[in-house]
Amino acid sequence: MRVYSIFILFFIASFLPSSSSSSSSKHHFLGISPQDENYYKSSSDTISCKDGSKKFSKSQFNDDFCDCLDGTDEPGTSACPTAKFYCKNAGHIPQFLFSSRVNDGICDCCDGSDEYDGQVKCPNTCWEAGKVARDRLIKKIATYKEGAALRKLEVEKAKVAIAKEEAELTLLKNEEKVLKVRVRELKEHKELIEKEEEKVRLQKEMEEKGKREAEEDLKEKRKADKEGEVEHEKVEEEASTENQPTESTHDDIIGNVEDSSSKEVSLHASENTHESASPTTEDVSSVATEIADDAGSKMSPDVDKKENEVSSDVSEGMSREELGRIVASRWTGESTKNQGGNKDHADDSHEETPKNTHDEQYDHHATDTGVDTGKDDNEKYDYEIDDEQDESYEEESHDDMSSYNYDDEPDLSDTTSSYNSSWLEKIQQKARNILKAFNLFQTPVNLTEAATVRKEYVDSSTKLSKIQSRISKLKEKLKHDFGPEKEFYVFHGHCFETNQNKLRTSHCNSFVLLSLALKYRLRNISICFAFNNLDFWLQVCLQSVSVQTSFSRGGLHINQFGVGVLQNWDKFEESYRMMVFSNGENCWNGPDRSMKVKLRCGLKNEITDVDEPSRCEYVAVLSTPAVCLEDKLKELQHKLDLMNKEQPREHDEL
Amino acid sequence: MKMKQVAFLFLIFLASQTVHSWKKDEFRACDQTPFCKRARFRKPGACTLIAHDVSISDGDLTAKLIPKAPHDQDQDQIKPLTLSVSVYQNGIMRLKIDEDPSLDPPKKRFQVADVVISEFETKKLWLQSASTEKINGDDGGLSSVVYLSDGYEAVLRHDPFEVYVREKAGNRRVVSLNSHGLFDFEQLRVKKEDEDWEERFRGHTDTRPYGPQSISFDVSFYGSDFVYGIPEHATSFALKPTRGPGVEESEPYRLFNLDVFEYLHESPFGIYGSIPFMVSHGKSGQSSGFFWLNAAEMQIDVLAKGWDAEGGILMPTEQSRIDTFWMSEAGIVDTFFFVGPGPKDVVKQYVSVTGLPAMPQLFSTGYHQCRWNYRDEEDVENVDSKFDEHDIPYDVLWLDIEHTDGKRYFTWDKMLFPHPEEMQRKLAAKGRHMVTIVDPHIKRDESFHLHKDASQRGYYVKDATGKDYDGWCWPGSSSYPDMLNPEIRSWWAEKFSYDNYVGSTPSLYIWNDMNEPSVFNGPEVTMPRDALHLGGVEHRELHNAYGYYFHMATAEGLLKRGDGKDRPFVLSRAFFAGSQRYGAVWTGDNSADWDHLRVSVPMVLTLGLTGMTFSGADVGGFFGNPEPELLVRWYQLGAYYPFFRGHAHHDTKRREPWLFGERNTALMRDAIRIRYTLLPYFYTLFREANVSGVPVVRPLWMEFPSDEVAFINDEAFMVGNSLLVQGIYTARAKHASVYLPGKESWYDLRTGTAYKGGKVHKLEVSEESIPAFQRAGTIVPRKDRFRRSSTQMLHDPYTLVIALNSSQAAEGELYVDDGKSYDFKHGAYIHRRFVFSNGHLTSSPVGNSRFSSDCIIERVILLGYTPGAKTALVEPGNQKTEIELGPLRFGGQHAAVAVTIRKPGVRVAEDWKIKIL
Repeated sequence: MRVYSIFILFFIASFLPSSSSSSSSKHHFLGISPQDENYYKSSSDTISCKDGSKKFSKSQFNDDFCDCLDGTDEPGTSACPTAKFYCKNAGHIPQFLFSSRVNDGICDCCDGSDEYDGQVKCPNTCWEAGKVARDRLIKKIATYKEGAALRKLEVEKAKVAIAKEEAELTLLKNEEKVLKVRVRELKEHKELIEKEEEKVRLQKEMEEKGKREAEEDLKEKRKADKEGEVEHEKVEEEASTENQPTESTHDDIIGNVEDSSSKEVSLHASENTHESASPTTEDVSSVATEIADDAGSKMSPDVDKKENEVSSDVSEGMSREELGRIVASRWTGESTKNQGGNKDHADDSHEETPKNTHDEQYDHHATDTGVDTGKDDNEKYDYEIDDEQDESYEEESHDDMSSYNYDDEPDLSDTTSSYNSSWLEKIQQKARNILKAFNLFQTPVNLTEAATVRKEYVDSSTKLSKIQSRISKLKEKLKHDFGPEKEFYVFHGHCFETNQNKLRTSHCNSFVLLSLALKYRLRNISICFAFNNLDFWLQVCLQSVSVQTSFSRGGLHINQFGVGVLQNWDKFEESYRMMVFSNGENCWNGPDRSMKVKLRCGLKNEITDVDEPSRCEYVAVLSTPAVCLEDKLKELQHKLDLMNKEQPREHDEL
Repeated sequence: MKMKQVAFLFLIFLASQTVHSWKKDEFRACDQTPFCKRARFRKPGACTLIAHDVSISDGDLTAKLIPKAPHDQDQDQIKPLTLSVSVYQNGIMRLKIDEDPSLDPPKKRFQVADVVISEFETKKLWLQSASTEKINGDDGGLSSVVYLSDGYEAVLRHDPFEVYVREKAGNRRVVSLNSHGLFDFEQLRVKKEDEDWEERFRGHTDTRPYGPQSISFDVSFYGSDFVYGIPEHATSFALKPTRGPGVEESEPYRLFNLDVFEYLHESPFGIYGSIPFMVSHGKSGQSSGFFWLNAAEMQIDVLAKGWDAEGGILMPTEQSRIDTFWMSEAGIVDTFFFVGPGPKDVVKQYVSVTGLPAMPQLFSTGYHQCRWNYRDEEDVENVDSKFDEHDIPYDVLWLDIEHTDGKRYFTWDKMLFPHPEEMQRKLAAKGRHMVTIVDPHIKRDESFHLHKDASQRGYYVKDATGKDYDGWCWPGSSSYPDMLNPEIRSWWAEKFSYDNYVGSTPSLYIWNDMNEPSVFNGPEVTMPRDALHLGGVEHRELHNAYGYYFHMATAEGLLKRGDGKDRPFVLSRAFFAGSQRYGAVWTGDNSADWDHLRVSVPMVLTLGLTGMTFSGADVGGFFGNPEPELLVRWYQLGAYYPFFRGHAHHDTKRREPWLFGERNTALMRDAIRIRYTLLPYFYTLFREANVSGVPVVRPLWMEFPSDEVAFINDEAFMVGNSLLVQGIYTARAKHASVYLPGKESWYDLRTGTAYKGGKVHKLEVSEESIPAFQRAGTIVPRKDRFRRSSTQMLHDPYTLVIALNSSQAAEGELYVDDGKSYDFKHGAYIHRRFVFSNGHLTSSPVGNSRFSSDCIIERVILLGYTPGAKTALVEPGNQKTEIELGPLRFGGQHAAVAVTIRKPGVRVAEDWKIKIL
């Protein structure tokens, strides 16, 4: 009954005319927000439920019985489940509580106003809490201010850079056209020269062999047939040397996959490289991607299958321990391979770090991911990155296999960065000179001139392929979503690193992450994490890079080694506050690997947190000025102003 | 690219096919199990034993069983068996058959200890005399008849031997044993030289040093159309025949506690627990029961009508009958016959033997949130705060095996859970509790004090050679305490003291998993049958009770921890007859599919029928990822399980209720809130179970025994006697056919709409709820305030929902106590009976209670009441209070449809009367 008298007190107090002015809010009604005060101050005897469903009398207001389904009549009690209780929290931030918190014995409002039935006494902690909150807010505002400035700079820079790149692209496209013509011309000339050379050679041969006339008739015909072939072979040889840079990349990839048949495939593919390098490269790369994919993705299900077959086999041949592990692995979904019998958890897991498994099955990734957290692995990632690009942008990306590079990469500088228009003229001039000096119909062939033509041809087509590579690179880059103001452009091609010693865990492990090395290159194209751990080594690399894990389940010593490929960066979400990577490789008995990178305003680009909340679903927090928005800054400042407004008065009261 | 994807998907499909299938080969089928195979080949009439030397001794009817033709070649070795029939109060007959100890058998056969409660012996009726009679139809054979209870007699026919109970009036049989002459008892004997007793299965050798020792017999239930019980199987509630005409090929129902990976949703195969108790029910509306106290592997055939058509013994045909065939690998015949006659009587009779279900703590009847695993303290804090953020109540957060230091139970992973006490205190500050897992396998690690202690004291189960048995489980190499031994149970119980279990606090309770026991490298993923327990008892003899003893020891530990004042909460996966005394069980590792949702109902019903009323299935399904719709449906159904817990395998995606969009969050919140509003009703039902054994969740026929349509209905169930709930077991369901039994109406819990009883209603189904109804003539107490957990509901006022029957009357009960201690045993409770009739609602006490509560009744809702009255008079005090139309439920947009007495303000603890004017 005491409850009721309290209500009545509040009720009377709240309806006194003098107390209803909003400034003297000390006497406002229980649980009512300032916006609603007027709503209840109706002069009539009844008040409507806000949803219009019903009317209630003033005596039914806050009487601990729910009359309105929307809770209009009970803002100050727990009677209506849908009602919200407003605590003023002077000195701190006002707050709406679920009605379930009112008089539940737990102090929720810092001013203690939610507990008034005498079951529990709540001290007013708003001043202390408010100060902490204000300080935190002030700090946050400072960060936002500075961050927003940085962001502005980056946005400006990005705009300039993009404009520059767009210009460059236009220019390069023009050059490509010209150069294409040039290369074709040179090629025709070269072929003519070669025909001539061949003629000369044949004549010589004929003279030498003139003596054996008896066999002549028969053999002449055959020879004619052969000629064609010989010529063809020669061209092939040349083509393959011309494409040297491309080739070397291919070799690397294929080497990684360690599949000799794929080598043949790639050679075979290059045989067709007569006209231009691009289609070839596309073929090769897609083949390579396929192989890489097969190696990566098909493996694990296969392995799992094998395991299952084993376990469903009659277990006679197995040791008791093996059997135990295999049965356990059904629940845990972990491979039972490579388990030592060691009892000590830490020791054996250390020995069992993925190495073996790398060697056995995942050489491809092993070479990439080894222990290389250093800089030189950038190139290695590039290969995989390119695979990825080819998959997701098949139409556009043709010849970027040859050399995928950052903007400032040196070997492109001669063709692109330091490029100027006179360079093209020079080429054209040179070609013209050669043509002039070289009379096509002149016999016998001038051998040195022929060599010059050939060399020019090789040079020009190399240039062409470089230009084409650059074009597609630029196209590719400019196609990306760099955010509404291109604020994410700055990440393109950059690599940031951070080391953390934060202890992190995975759901099924008691392991400790000793160090956490994070590397990422946003959009371009990988975010790489390397987790190092006593019995666990995980590398998450996004977009075509791999996830490798080795789990040791406590004392069970069951290791799983799975390689996953996170293929796509899907999109930004939550208005550019989160990057979502998905369609990774499937986890055994689990989901496809995926990762969410939450973006938080910060002064530096760095990963501040990595987590695996669900199996093979990773979450990282990336702090960056790119999301330090002005609007948000204003909002925060407004919030601070509000807090400050409340603060001094409340302090006086205290 | 496309092709590649397809191929890849196919590979995954293949992989998942092999992964997601029950490994049938790993478990023994009946024909791979010599005793079962042999028994199933027996022909009716094969038993030639006759009862000899029938007499009354020590208050029992006793006899010797001897072969009829003692010089028969095959029966050389048969020594007389001892038979005794005892009679207990309330219509219980106990029949025991064992080897004669005076004839010096090679070994004493195991008799399961500590299951029959000590009070039971006090209910024994001392027989003074038996009458002998010649029964019609028997060709001259004699029978000895003794008194059983009012209207019932126990009969021992001498030749051939048969035991049964019958109604005095009309000599109608109720339950009989060996009516078909299938009884067989393999006596222990000395091994002959050429004999090989070893059994091999998948690389495991069972030495079987004592040779064959199985027992089998037939049991018939008269006046029955269906039999139920004998959990645990994932199968229909009414047990389908496993042999006979119309049954293609079926395994018998197997009772053998096993940790089965991804068990099937429809199979007679044995899973985690075993209760060899069967209940029959028939058109007459009568039930009877049979319980075989035997913890060895058991196989039970339900025989289809006409199975004995050829060459059987002629049975009285005027009664419909279900015949069953029971086989066990070892042990003795120690059986209990329950005469009923009502279904609730049978359950009461059964729990008078094995004990009443424990009274749970109030918090444990709320919602439990579990996952393998909440990884660390931060994760725990996050999940906890998300419940608050979404205003979803829950009471308990659970930690699975990963919280330990390397699967050493009673320890904490120092990196993940560095501050266990603080973590529990934070939860406790919101009135919430925590449960941690403690399994029976102890890591064989010399540096682990528990292992060191156990091995030094010789407390582990031994292998056949006498060394500590070493099996493989989560921690790797592990040993298992011999829980058969009371001394070891007591030692184990000590481990739960706050001093011993470092990091535990009073808000921490326990979960016993893997106690079948699960042994990853053992035969059939369990302990070898020739492992040795206290006194040379072979594991085969007590296998099904190992988990029971473990559960018992843990519950005793929690009891000790709280100085006997705090009710333990221990969830166990394995169970046996009597486990209801120690806590809750759940249906183990189910899967996230509709079939498993569906089968959870007959599973929970069966458990309730056999005493284990505090049970439930993992909401959402343990394995796999449920579609949001399935998850929502599971919450809607799970809210009515007696034990309501969400749980998931660590390979699954997170599935806490707020992860599937706002709409689904709202639906799951609503489902959980329904449970919380009904907690006063549930708690009252738990009390009813605690005093009577009548389960919280009941089959329809338990409330409507004569309603034949209800006999095989296991899609719907009763919560208490007032609510009927039917799950939705298919995706995108638009309609559901719901059978509402009885003559009275039913009121939709959500809308208040009335439906006629005794009819199948085709109802429209929305995503908002599953069909649920309150039966006319009942009163359900609710608490309609929503809180963070049940703890904060302590002072909240009640709502009474009165569903009036055709004579405008209704009644119901409310039980309240402190929710945690045993003070209720000394009268510290409130037990009220509410009766509505003639427009008056009265509250009167049940029993003599003295417990105070400041809780009031804030609202009385009348369903089926003709509106019109505007005021009610509350006595004492003669205060007037208003009557108006109000919503039937809160928490959403629910129309004002129900006549509501506004704020009567009467106290639940007091007598009062409300008169509608």
